Amino acid sequence: MNTSIIRYVLGNVLKVEGILLLIPALIAIIYQENIIVFYLASALLCLLFGILMTLRKPKTTIFYLKEGCMTTALSWILLSFFGCLPFWCSGEIPVFTDALFETISGFTTTGASILNDVEALSKTSLFWRSFTHWIGGMGVLVFLLAIIPLSGGSNINLMRAESPGPSVGKLVPKMRYTARILYLIYFGMTLLENILLIIGGMPVFEAVCTSFGTAGTGGFGVLNSSIAGYAPHLQWIVTIFMILFGVNFNAYYLILFRKFKKAFTMSEVRVYLLIMFTAIAIVFFDILEMSTGIFDALTKSSFQVASIMTTTGFATTDFSLWPQTSKVVLVLLMFIGGCAGSTSGGIKVSRFVIVCKTIVKELNSYIHPKSIKKIQMDGKPIEHDVIRSINVYFITFVLLFSFSILLVSLEGKDLVTSFTAVAATINNVGPGLELVGPTQNFSPLSPFSKWVLMFDMLAGRLELFPLLILFHPALWKELFTKKLGSRKVEIHD
Amino acid sequence: MVKNLNPGKQGLSIIIVGCGKVGVTLIEQLSNEGHDITIIDKDAAKIQSLTNLYDIMGIVGNGASYSVQMEAGIENTDLIIAVTDSDELNLLCCTVAKRVGNCAAIARVRTPDYSKEVGYLQEKLGLSLIINPELEAAKEAARILYLPTALEVNSFAHGQAELIKFKIPEGNLLDGITLANLGQIITTEVVVCAIERDGEVYIPSGDFKMAKGDIISFVASRKVVKSFLETLKFKTKRVRNTMIIGGGKVAYYLAHQLLNMGIAVKIIEIDRARCEELSILLPKAVIINGDGTDEELLKEEGIENAESFVPLTGIDEENILLTLHARQVSSAKVITKINRINFKNVISKLDLGSVVYPRYITSEAIIAYVRAKKDSMNSNIETLYHMFDHRVEAIEFLVEKDSAVTGIPLKDLALKKDLIISFINRNGRILIPRGQDCIKAGDTVMIVTTHTGFNDIQDILK
Repeated sequence: MNTSIIRYVLGNVLKVEGILLLIPALIAIIYQENIIVFYLASALLCLLFGILMTLRKPKTTIFYLKEGCMTTALSWILLSFFGCLPFWCSGEIPVFTDALFETISGFTTTGASILNDVEALSKTSLFWRSFTHWIGGMGVLVFLLAIIPLSGGSNINLMRAESPGPSVGKLVPKMRYTARILYLIYFGMTLLENILLIIGGMPVFEAVCTSFGTAGTGGFGVLNSSIAGYAPHLQWIVTIFMILFGVNFNAYYLILFRKFKKAFTMSEVRVYLLIMFTAIAIVFFDILEMSTGIFDALTKSSFQVASIMTTTGFATTDFSLWPQTSKVVLVLLMFIGGCAGSTSGGIKVSRFVIVCKTIVKELNSYIHPKSIKKIQMDGKPIEHDVIRSINVYFITFVLLFSFSILLVSLEGKDLVTSFTAVAATINNVGPGLELVGPTQNFSPLSPFSKWVLMFDMLAGRLELFPLLILFHPALWKELFTKKLGSRKVEIHD
Repeated sequence: MVKNLNPGKQGLSIIIVGCGKVGVTLIEQLSNEGHDITIIDKDAAKIQSLTNLYDIMGIVGNGASYSVQMEAGIENTDLIIAVTDSDELNLLCCTVAKRVGNCAAIARVRTPDYSKEVGYLQEKLGLSLIINPELEAAKEAARILYLPTALEVNSFAHGQAELIKFKIPEGNLLDGITLANLGQIITTEVVVCAIERDGEVYIPSGDFKMAKGDIISFVASRKVVKSFLETLKFKTKRVRNTMIIGGGKVAYYLAHQLLNMGIAVKIIEIDRARCEELSILLPKAVIINGDGTDEELLKEEGIENAESFVPLTGIDEENILLTLHARQVSSAKVITKINRINFKNVISKLDLGSVVYPRYITSEAIIAYVRAKKDSMNSNIETLYHMFDHRVEAIEFLVEKDSAVTGIPLKDLALKKDLIISFINRNGRILIPRGQDCIKAGDTVMIVTTHTGFNDIQDILK
């Protein structure tokens, strides 16, 4: 186990966070808020730890998968811990568990809040809350790969652990430029949404925070009413961008390089849009009666479906009051999530596509027991290993999900609340139904349940295994056993 | 706009087709030198493990297919290198690539059937380079057999100058004298460029004291080499006969050259059909059908009296054992071919004597080409060799235009540390440089250094 490279990368993560924490400090200057002290102090603390940890450069920069997973999991935990300090120390969120919950919810782009009154927060904290979505959406390690040169090719193991999807590939040969292209697309699209919202008449501060929330598919709003208070055309802008951020970023890369044909034939994106529009149609007809008109029903249904399927979690209406069919559709969408390689959460469309193909293959094998058929996607055969890991992913997901529900139900809330609370966090959606519905929040839950949900949020964002591997005893054994000195082999001749 | 994402981009975009021994060596070295590399191979597992290890992109498929090349981005590629097992596939890869993209192409072609037509193929197909590792390995082995004292012989300046590596035996003239003394006592016509002692490599300065057991690399013009070695009381006679174990491609090329030089050749090959083929191809050679690893057979065929012994079987372990055996039972000059295995430290401890690595020979030629292509402003790389397990590079630059290094006496140039200018080739004459000499445009200059990645003659300056 190469512990020094883990330390080094974690140190760099902290340095980056320290610099990122200075951005809300700038907002504090603009709005002349005293809370700046806490942000500056947190930033300094991060920088201090970061610099201390990166003083000694590691001898070898080799990354194996286990180091990649461990670094990823630990850096998200560190990131969340230091990120919650300003909330907690300033007393805006006085309880540590709550502050950490809010921050993890931010970084994992969940958007589940424990705040009863969002508007009571200072502008600086509101900004930081939304900004965590933006950082967490594309991933801080991907950002790190884009800026610091980690020599050695094995750092794809870092990206693999952090990026969503069953198989992670590169866009261009070099890791660094792949990461840069991803961030460029991400930044460009966020900026575009921001500009459109401002042109549409949203106040600048709210527009910035809303576009952060959309880009990371997070869902923290800056108003108590989330997006409901804005004019329909603004809601439509947000709807469209939510859908766009749920698309595999490879498609944008292909468009950027003018390979339109390939971009538009990506089967995952097609299935994603198909599911999206079908769900909108179902919900639209279901809520048509209780709406004030066709346009209103269309706006609400498409906004809510896009918001839930991309796991953003903004709300324009209290869908807890919707008919049962619509609610079921929304809950199912939570599990599907967006495309692999996007900023959204959930199980991901591509996994579902492959699983469905596996089911068809299994059925076929009952009819032709000796038939051989390789599962393909986009004209490429899917390796058996990938299929196996997807199957294991599903099983692990179901087990973790069930176990979490059991733990949350210990405090005696109703089944819908417990079920959707876990579903909304493990899929990084945000709002659930009933007590944790869009107009409610997670504050009534017990601290124990909150810790369980925090774990679920991290597990969901990192796609289970990078986080679960932290509990593998062999890893810790390796970490703490002293390395044997490099023994020299002498050969006598 | 998209190109701008690569602000620090200095490397070339290179596609490597085929991830065998040579392919992997190329991937390792070229990715270390900062090029953008895409690899193509049919074996998905191989691609997976290589992309985990190096910062490269991998594509599974047939490298000669148009769609696979398009996927690898052939349109924006500077260079395609085809090193699959099959010569025909390599040539097809390059031909397709030349039609689709505007790139340079290098193919490995090693079957003797094509070896005589290499020049024709290269010109007609518009390839930048055709490499034949087996032929190059055979050439290297032949050079060593021509001068059996040396551990390694590399030629520069179109054969005008040679870089010779040998080990100082006990009681030799060189034992215990400094390099400055060497100039005063013996000759000023040679330059000692690198010395290996106890596993460390030094680029020596004048006060470096040589000792027995040191492995020395020196450069001299071809004429001087022999007389210098004779002064040191080394045998400089070439061998008169050689025994080759294994009748593969390298064996064929080597035997062919040795026979032309008038050296008797005996080849032991286990496969009868191959023996018959060889006897047609090499009528002057003695072909023995038998197992070359059979001790009795070797004895019968006179290993004790052989002047040189070259195990060229396809299995490295067998070659190493045969070498160790030969060193025990005879005083023959032995050259070991090592193709695949990686335990370099173990191998260098074994004291095998001369070792030939065909895959490094190939990659050296390609890397020299790539470096020259990358940056040919004022100078061009003519030849490049890696020595002492890749810790030292010997590079011959062609200085095309005047630059910061030309026209200034060498003693006034601010040269980097661990670097030596070993000769200047001016109009075919080898100059051993002194402080007052200058580099001029049109010269080729050879430098030896422990720095890596030099592209241009100006890299020698601080």
